[in-house]
Amino acid sequence: MPESPTPDSVRVRVWDLPIRLFHWLMVALVGVAWWTAETGRLDWHRYCGYALLGLVSFRIYWGFAGSSTARFAQFLKGPRVILQYIKGQRTGTPGHNPLGALSVVVLLALLLAQIVFGLFAVDVDGIESGPLSIYVSFDGGRFAAELHEELFDVLLWLIGLHVVAIAYYVLIRKEDLIGAMLHGKRSFPRLPQQPVRFASAARLLVGVVLAALVTWLVIRAG
Amino acid sequence: MPGSFYSRLGSTVVAAALLAAAVHAADALTPVQLQKVRHDHYHELGDAFKSVRDLTKADSPDFAALIASAEVIDKASVNQGQWFPQGTGPEAGKTRALPEVWSKPDEFLAAQKMFSDRAPKLLEAAKAKDLPGVQAAFKELGGACKNCHDTFRSPEEH
Repeated sequence: MPESPTPDSVRVRVWDLPIRLFHWLMVALVGVAWWTAETGRLDWHRYCGYALLGLVSFRIYWGFAGSSTARFAQFLKGPRVILQYIKGQRTGTPGHNPLGALSVVVLLALLLAQIVFGLFAVDVDGIESGPLSIYVSFDGGRFAAELHEELFDVLLWLIGLHVVAIAYYVLIRKEDLIGAMLHGKRSFPRLPQQPVRFASAARLLVGVVLAALVTWLVIRAG
Repeated sequence: MPGSFYSRLGSTVVAAALLAAAVHAADALTPVQLQKVRHDHYHELGDAFKSVRDLTKADSPDFAALIASAEVIDKASVNQGQWFPQGTGPEAGKTRALPEVWSKPDEFLAAQKMFSDRAPKLLEAAKAKDLPGVQAAFKELGGACKNCHDTFRSPEEH
């Protein structure tokens, strides 16, 4: 639903490239992780998990050091603001709305938990396992595997809810959220009160190095 | 002599009763209990496999522990044929053992043989403190597990 730029509307870049790359790589990797698990390709499933660990680590760092629209402190609001948003009051800050912000942190936290359970998981035969399973017993690893399986169902439901919410914004409210996550720009009736501050390439580099380091350390610990 | 006849008959009856009791005692486990016994055996086997996998990740593994786990695996590879008595399939209760275990006995035996042929190699390599040998034998063993599971075990439910 592209909105034609009229004199009354301005195009503003909201999402930086790292956020957009993070989002779509995560979509692809969760899909591949699902498929490799269902078809028993556990080597590739582990690689997906490692890549997702790197991505989520980067996203957490970016939530503190990244562009303003990526920061938790900017988009996480209390219940009062969330209620006001539901009643129709807008915040005037571009980026995640107060309600969508909940979905962001819940999905991120559950994905991290899912990765951690996978790191400790052991299959029923004791042959396939996550790298950190050497620190737990067979039964402990089996328990992690069960949690890994149960939590995935919860994740699927929440991803479904996320997609339904996006569909509502796109189809009913005619706000092009999908395009925004692709090219990074959104149209506003007027220039937002708070401009988006984008993080530097140096900060990006630090984040990539940190995320790779975390992932490497976890794999090496196994 | 009637007394002798009756006493012989009596001891025959007692012997028969004792035999029946003995047979009954050996057979006393219900199919569901037998499934549980099988499940526990495979749980022990999975535990041993995990131990081997964990131990082989170390640069200088604990070979005594490796030998202990390899012995559990070797013993299981020989004994597992007895873990599938008639009547302990899906008809008896929740199990991932497929009816093919009982309907294709020759193929099932061949699948077991692949396991029992390969298991001693793991034990030998562990005793020889040959880490690459252990790793190679472990991989081979994994293939034997998969070979049997593909045909005789139902996929995990999701």
